[in-house]
Amino acid sequence: MKKAITPKQAAFLLPLLLLLAVFAVYPIVTSIVYSLFDYRTNDPAAAGLYTGTNFNAPLFYEDCDYSAWYLEDDVSVLTGDDAAELQAAADELKALSEPYKDAKEVVEMSKADSEKMAETIRDLRERILAVYERNPDAEYWNGPEKLTILLDEMDGCRISGNFQGLAAYKKLLSDSRFGKSLKSTLIFTVISVFFELVLGMALALIMNKAIKGIGGVRTTALIPWAIPTAVSALMWSYMYDGSNGIVAKIFADIGLISSPEQMLLSAGGAMSAAILADVWKTTPYMALLLLAGLQIIDTGLYESAKVDGASAVRTFFSVTLPLLKPSMLVALLFRTLDAFRVYDLIAVLTGGAQGTETLSIYAYKLMISQSNYGYGSAVVLAMAICVALIAFFFVKFLGAELISDD
Amino acid sequence: MQPKKSTKIISAIIIVLFLAIMVFPFFWILITSFKPGEEIFGKTAFRIIAENPTTANYETVIGKGILNSIKNSLIVSLITTVYVVAVSTLSSYILARCRFKGKSLLMALILGVSMFPQMIVVGPIFNMFYKLNLLNSYWVTLAYSSITLPSATWIMVAHFKRIPASLEEAAHIDGCNQWQTLWKIIFPIALPGVFTCAIMTFISAWNEYLLTCTLNSDKMYQTVPVAINALRTQFSILWGEITAATVIVVIPTLIIVLLFQKQIVSGMVSGAVKE
Repeated sequence: MKKAITPKQAAFLLPLLLLLAVFAVYPIVTSIVYSLFDYRTNDPAAAGLYTGTNFNAPLFYEDCDYSAWYLEDDVSVLTGDDAAELQAAADELKALSEPYKDAKEVVEMSKADSEKMAETIRDLRERILAVYERNPDAEYWNGPEKLTILLDEMDGCRISGNFQGLAAYKKLLSDSRFGKSLKSTLIFTVISVFFELVLGMALALIMNKAIKGIGGVRTTALIPWAIPTAVSALMWSYMYDGSNGIVAKIFADIGLISSPEQMLLSAGGAMSAAILADVWKTTPYMALLLLAGLQIIDTGLYESAKVDGASAVRTFFSVTLPLLKPSMLVALLFRTLDAFRVYDLIAVLTGGAQGTETLSIYAYKLMISQSNYGYGSAVVLAMAICVALIAFFFVKFLGAELISDD
Repeated sequence: MQPKKSTKIISAIIIVLFLAIMVFPFFWILITSFKPGEEIFGKTAFRIIAENPTTANYETVIGKGILNSIKNSLIVSLITTVYVVAVSTLSSYILARCRFKGKSLLMALILGVSMFPQMIVVGPIFNMFYKLNLLNSYWVTLAYSSITLPSATWIMVAHFKRIPASLEEAAHIDGCNQWQTLWKIIFPIALPGVFTCAIMTFISAWNEYLLTCTLNSDKMYQTVPVAINALRTQFSILWGEITAATVIVVIPTLIIVLLFQKQIVSGMVSGAVKE
């Protein structure tokens, strides 16, 4: 029987809700927001989420200051109206930059202000260049070229917002590196999960029959699963090493690879190496999950199958498999999703070289190494969409039951 | 049901082969860790017994502060375990016993978070920690909740559902309030489940790589998986030291597995096996 919740009981849920909100919901929502912006923390023009125009005030102040200074230099070689005109332009520039004298960072700017400033700079540019044109032969200290550069830079101080809507997702479609990493992720996932299922099933069936020694097998099986992936990947990278790795040597000796160096330095070799290390680490997990599923099947069913004269193969497909299906699907789903988001193993083993760059690795490189949070988040969200599709496929088409709330 | 003799033999061979493959990497790492540097390379690289066994590798990695990273791992994993178990026990009890609006949504969210690629939280959490100036500190343990809390809650809900509700009604009739019922009646019965949840949380916190690697780049705060990988420098790969460090850090895992294998298996299975 279930009771309706009281306020006091609801308070029990608070810590969970709080942690989920801060460390799960907030990051997910933030990622979605990031992906809508061209957000790159290593570029001052894109180091924030700007919907409106931004104004690089410190740089603008500096540019105005230099321009005014240059102009005043050039005033000295002119006379009359033209000198006065240039001096006026220099004074205007000083006045224009005055409010930003102590500015230290990029500030937001309204659209109207931005247009007004563009107008002012355009006007100043025309007047300054007109003076230079009227006196082409004067021996300027600085001249029109230097001023043009500074005025261009001043225009560049107004940065339009980096909101880009769904452009990053559009870019994904034409990004061949994304396509390649999606492909390697799928290859890795499908092959490793397939082997884990087949080998795990074989082991589970054997362990289900054998009574003696199962404890020892179970303990041994748990160790690869329990050690950190980053450590097991390092162990394998030693054994795969081209010059002193035992596994690379054995594979080369039996002819699987042409030379030990090929293990991690050829495309096929590196991917197989990653898959083998993953299968080694997670087959035991699969076997133990399937074993638990097998153990809840009523043994009476096997006996009736035997009485009816069913062969071992027939019994497996008609009795064991249908009854194991619910447990198997959940185990498969979790393993598939785990393999799909693989990061530690590949990062340590190959760093994504030789065609082993998976989506996680690509996204991490974009975000953390290149500080490109906008596009990196789009890659991560594309991954999340794939994960949702995989889960949906398992639940809808294969009938995996995840939430059984009675 | 007596299996045929041939099946028995084949099964035995498969099991032995399986065990050999599972154990071999550990064995190879162990023997390498006792080889002096020059024996790891060249012709002697594939010898099983070192000609001049040495403990120099162990001394070097201990000198390089592997014990400090074990301490970091212990601190971070223990804090994570304590608060995650407390939070998930409290909330799972309510989730298993009460009905309320939005409960299926909350359960779907918990499940969804456990399935989502972890990479999704890394960028925003890095920026959050950067802004709050929490990078390179033990605060990383809070970020671990995004990985450990959903599965811990999932395990605990499954356990609480197995405890008959009639027990609580009896306690209520006997005059226990909610809090007493939870502490005196439910908690003791659920203790094995709580313990399973604790072990699973500890192992996943101990194994965490992505978040610490990103948030705690300072050597002072590196946990074991990150510290071991830091031994592999750009210019040289010191396999002797790496294998020695691996042996040192596998030992705690080995002890945990040997002591708590029943709880681990039950934790792996809960939520995944349909009864």
